[in-house]
Amino acid sequence: MSENMLSVRNLSFSYGTHDVLRDVSFDAPVGQMLAVLGPNGVGKSTLFRCMLGLETRYRGEITLGGKPIRSISPRQLAQQIAYVPQSHSPSFNYSVFDMVLMGTTARVGLLNSPREAQIAVTEQSLERVGILHLRDRGYLRISGGERQLTLIARALAQQASVVIMDEPTASLDYGNGLRVLKQVRDLAREGLTVVQSTHNPDHAFMFADQVLAMVDGAVAAFGTPDETLDEPMIEALYGIRAKLRHVDGVTSVQPIF
Amino acid sequence: MTVRGIKAEQNAIERSKNRAHSLVIAVIGALVIAALFVSFAIGRYPIKPPELLAAVWAKLAGLLNRALIPIFKQQINIPEVSATTNAILWNVRFPRIVLSCLVGCCLSSAGAAYQGVFQNPMASPDILGASAGAAMGAALAILLQLGSRMVMLFAFGASLITITLVMLISRVARGSQVLRIILAGIMVSSLCNAVTSFIKLVADPNNILPEITYWMMGSLAKTRIASVKLAIIPMLVGLIPLLLIRWRINLLTLSDDEARTMGVSVGKVRFLVIVCATLVTAASVSISGLIGWVGLVVPHLMRRLVGSNYRHLMPASMVGGALFLLIVDNFSRNLLPTEIPIGILTAIIGAPFFIWMITREREEI
Repeated sequence: MSENMLSVRNLSFSYGTHDVLRDVSFDAPVGQMLAVLGPNGVGKSTLFRCMLGLETRYRGEITLGGKPIRSISPRQLAQQIAYVPQSHSPSFNYSVFDMVLMGTTARVGLLNSPREAQIAVTEQSLERVGILHLRDRGYLRISGGERQLTLIARALAQQASVVIMDEPTASLDYGNGLRVLKQVRDLAREGLTVVQSTHNPDHAFMFADQVLAMVDGAVAAFGTPDETLDEPMIEALYGIRAKLRHVDGVTSVQPIF
Repeated sequence: MTVRGIKAEQNAIERSKNRAHSLVIAVIGALVIAALFVSFAIGRYPIKPPELLAAVWAKLAGLLNRALIPIFKQQINIPEVSATTNAILWNVRFPRIVLSCLVGCCLSSAGAAYQGVFQNPMASPDILGASAGAAMGAALAILLQLGSRMVMLFAFGASLITITLVMLISRVARGSQVLRIILAGIMVSSLCNAVTSFIKLVADPNNILPEITYWMMGSLAKTRIASVKLAIIPMLVGLIPLLLIRWRINLLTLSDDEARTMGVSVGKVRFLVIVCATLVTAASVSISGLIGWVGLVVPHLMRRLVGSNYRHLMPASMVGGALFLLIVDNFSRNLLPTEIPIGILTAIIGAPFFIWMITREREEI
């Protein structure tokens, strides 16, 4: 088993009497992009919250490199697992540079501010996602796609081996969405483990190495996109009859009404 | 240019930007010192610059002599200064000027801190009821005619008790931490205001009631050096941690989940910042009465000058607050033949200034 492997074993979670996750088990393969698919309210966000250490009252075990994440301090965990939220509007207008610099906090002493080393990491992260030219712009004054890239750069500045993304393309237009996903896949190719939720099976076919399909809080299928996302699975996930089309080695979903 | 060359240049840009922000803070600091000298000179009994310098030098020389005579067996000549000048300078103006700087520094940094931890640009130092609690304590002490020292202690104590109550209620309430604390603050403040109103109702309208009313307008007029010495301890105890932990306040302005996934113990850091900001607010309000707007206007102005990053914003708010209140206090004591309570002036200046600032919002950044 790899050193940085994120494993989820028999994970169950409930809010009161309402079961959200039932006996979920899977491994996030190192250096690959794992897409989590499922209808709204299926428990994707809760699963992510557990994996990020934001929820701890679950049954089962989540381990990173064999170590239960419940036993890792928030600061240590932040150095290994980073989170990319959906692009948002905070109350204050930080520069893109400062926003990304915040990602280095887990490696900065409690009473210190970031120093040269963190500034250098921030520069590199901005460069890797190709937004170094935005560094002095206000975060609230850039486009949704640029904000999403800023948040991805921030996760890179965290220097974690695993990055968890909550629907990174949800608020983006067609072009920006694809550009962001392409960027994310390139990062996975460089060795990052990426776990992201998506509502678009086409995106999973285009970019994901592995797919975790969830129905009703449980794992419906886990494997490569072609193995898991067949026509009955699409219908089970979304209640839509669909036909898969294979053109030039790319699979896409054609809904049937 | 090589990639390395470009990177080095960009690092240099980042450093120079940091330097530019530090320069702004240094310039404001220099303005504070200049304003100090002006404040010493002007007043109902004006002191001319040569006389002022002589008096300051006399004081310094006196202190130096006391320290150095045992070592060098020599004395520095002390210039002649009139007793009136000395008395006015050191017993009246010095404590008041020091206090106006301290209170400005405290209220402004507390405002900046609260705005960060409550993710709300409109938060001010009295958001949790520190002022309402202090007013209640002061009103009670004035009603019981306990003397000015007890008024200050009652105000300080009541302010801290109020905030403790707010924090305790917020712990057992449900919902997000920020919402719980703010709601508890609103409830407890309004309770304190009701008690204060009741005290005013039963107070003797000939002498006690005017005193309570006057205290609430905020004033630095009766400042004595003894009360400054008393207030400076809680002020420093609060200001120093605020300055040290300032980088982490940036992350509290994001959502709690986000900050936690970046390794910040959100609850603990927010609690520490609230405790420190409350301590400096309580110390300020208990000695000077209610002085509004400083904690709102100054941090916003500083955001314009140095940006939102607390690394620069916190020290800038501290020196900016000191400068602002020092200048306003000069107007308070010199504008009219009778003193204008400073709380009235900060509101008269603060509100229009704030309106001007928010209507310019779009142009900047």
